[in-house]
Amino acid sequence: MKEQDPTVFIVDDDREVRLGLESLIRSVGLRAAIFASADEFMAAPRPDAPACLILDVRMPGQSGLDLQRELRGAGIHIPIVFLTGHGDIPMTVRAMKEGAMEFLTKPVRGQDLLDAVQKAIARDRTARQKRAELSELRARFDSLTPRETEVLNLVVAGLLNKQIADELGTSELTIKTHRAHVMEKTRADSLAHLVRMTETLKRSTAR
Amino acid sequence: MRAGDKQVRTTQRMKGTFISPDGSSGSRLGARITGALLRYIAAIAIVAAALWLSLALQAPFGNPFWFLFALAVISSTWLLGKGPGWAAVALSSAMGLYFFVPPYRGWTINLRDLPFFATFVSCQVITSWLISWRGDWEAALRHARDELEVRVEERTAELKAANDALLYRISEQKRAEEALQAARAELARVARITTVGELTASIAHEVNQPLAAVVANADACVAWLALPAPNLEEARAAANRAVEGATRASGVIARIRSLIHKAEPQRGPVQLNQLIDETIAIVSGQASRSQVAVHLELAPDLPEVPGDRIQLQQVILNLAVNGIEAMAPVSSRPRRLSIRSSFDRDRREVHVLVQDNGVGVGGDAMTRVFEPFFTTRTQGIGMGLPISRSIIEAHGGRLWVQSEVDRGSVFQFTLPAAEGRTA
Repeated sequence: MKEQDPTVFIVDDDREVRLGLESLIRSVGLRAAIFASADEFMAAPRPDAPACLILDVRMPGQSGLDLQRELRGAGIHIPIVFLTGHGDIPMTVRAMKEGAMEFLTKPVRGQDLLDAVQKAIARDRTARQKRAELSELRARFDSLTPRETEVLNLVVAGLLNKQIADELGTSELTIKTHRAHVMEKTRADSLAHLVRMTETLKRSTAR
Repeated sequence: MRAGDKQVRTTQRMKGTFISPDGSSGSRLGARITGALLRYIAAIAIVAAALWLSLALQAPFGNPFWFLFALAVISSTWLLGKGPGWAAVALSSAMGLYFFVPPYRGWTINLRDLPFFATFVSCQVITSWLISWRGDWEAALRHARDELEVRVEERTAELKAANDALLYRISEQKRAEEALQAARAELARVARITTVGELTASIAHEVNQPLAAVVANADACVAWLALPAPNLEEARAAANRAVEGATRASGVIARIRSLIHKAEPQRGPVQLNQLIDETIAIVSGQASRSQVAVHLELAPDLPEVPGDRIQLQQVILNLAVNGIEAMAPVSSRPRRLSIRSSFDRDRREVHVLVQDNGVGVGGDAMTRVFEPFFTTRTQGIGMGLPISRSIIEAHGGRLWVQSEVDRGSVFQFTLPAAEGRTA
């Protein structure tokens, strides 16, 4: 699967700031999309590609912090680089708690912003990869039959085939067959690999 | 009470002059009786001395020296008063009858000697009466003079007290006026700074926004030029936007500087339309953030007014900010702030109206909005409107309000137009 070019979204109510930031982003070869308000940004389609959002905290209508909360609520994971005229501490803390990537004070130096943007995109790329891997992993495990899932749970709990057979009231041979199917379907190289994958899935579900 | 005191004092002084020439005014009854007794005894002593001298002189010379009694009566009446005088008259008449009217050393009198004795007694009586009459007259005169002096003295003291009080009051008032002036100037400055303080957030945004544009565009420009194949078109566009941003920033700074500049009132011709434009530019950020549409209707023929630009700007700013804040709780209708200027040719007055459709104020609050420290807001010190009114009044104008709860308020002020120009 070929990855699309990363996109930088810019939301700022000031036209000149917006255009300046866009120009700066494009000058380093990144794609930029500009919006005058949070609503405009929410209404626009977002390509399936690594991205980051440069967001002005203070805007008429919906503020940057409101937009951040809305995105989180909608399960949209996009790293946000905040820009603020005068960031007070409570505001910064709130934004960081909600998972802001950076909090930069206007006027921001071009290099600082580009660094923050590159970092954000890198993080988004990794996160997207992880999400993709995880969903692939989940697909593999979802393909197991209920019986196979039962066997899997007892295998990773450290039981031997004989014990599993006793537990489930069947023959050791049947268990061996189930177990081979599990290893094949989950593409596990070894028992240790299978345990790791199960742990990864558990952690992601728990989170 | 004071008048009563004076009356008593005057009476006592009068009595003192009259009855006791020694000046023991206000003496107690006992002392007065003792004094009278002493004077009667003195009168008797004088008569006795006259009798002794007469008898002593008569022995060697034979002539009756009875006129010495006249001297005794005169001196008694003169020196000791009316009563002792009459006592001297009575005593000397008796002594004359006894010692100097035949038959000597006897209380009887011959018919032949009656005219002589009667004349003697008459002379004594008339002398005493004349002297006491003159004494009364003098005493009355002295009393009148004293009383006059007392009155003059009292009146002078009263006048002096009144004068002192007046001087004190004048200096007090002057001090109060100076203090008031100073307080008003300080309050105006504080309010100006407070207003600025309330606007600081919006000003920081106002300045930062164009600066952010400058920096972003300049960075972009550099980046486009730094490419292996520089993109001049993009670089030029970015540079142009940087220039626009810088111009905007300097405009904001100029407005702020004129706003917070601490200066004594300076009178000069002020073009109110221009001032309104500039002031609205200052609050436009706040207005747009508060979703307030600002509507200006400025008369093109508006003459200049003589006044202090900064103070007048403060008034417009106060009224505009008040209007914007009064609309904050309103959500059922579009928020709209209207500012109109016009010129009344007949009265030669410039008229400015600031209207909002905010929450408005009710009857009681409306009469109080111009009172210092009265505020309906949770923030704000309640000095904006009193100071605005004092500024307008100091410029010879009037500032008033009409308001209706839930409909909005109209603040209006007039200022006399500059002389000799009809624009």
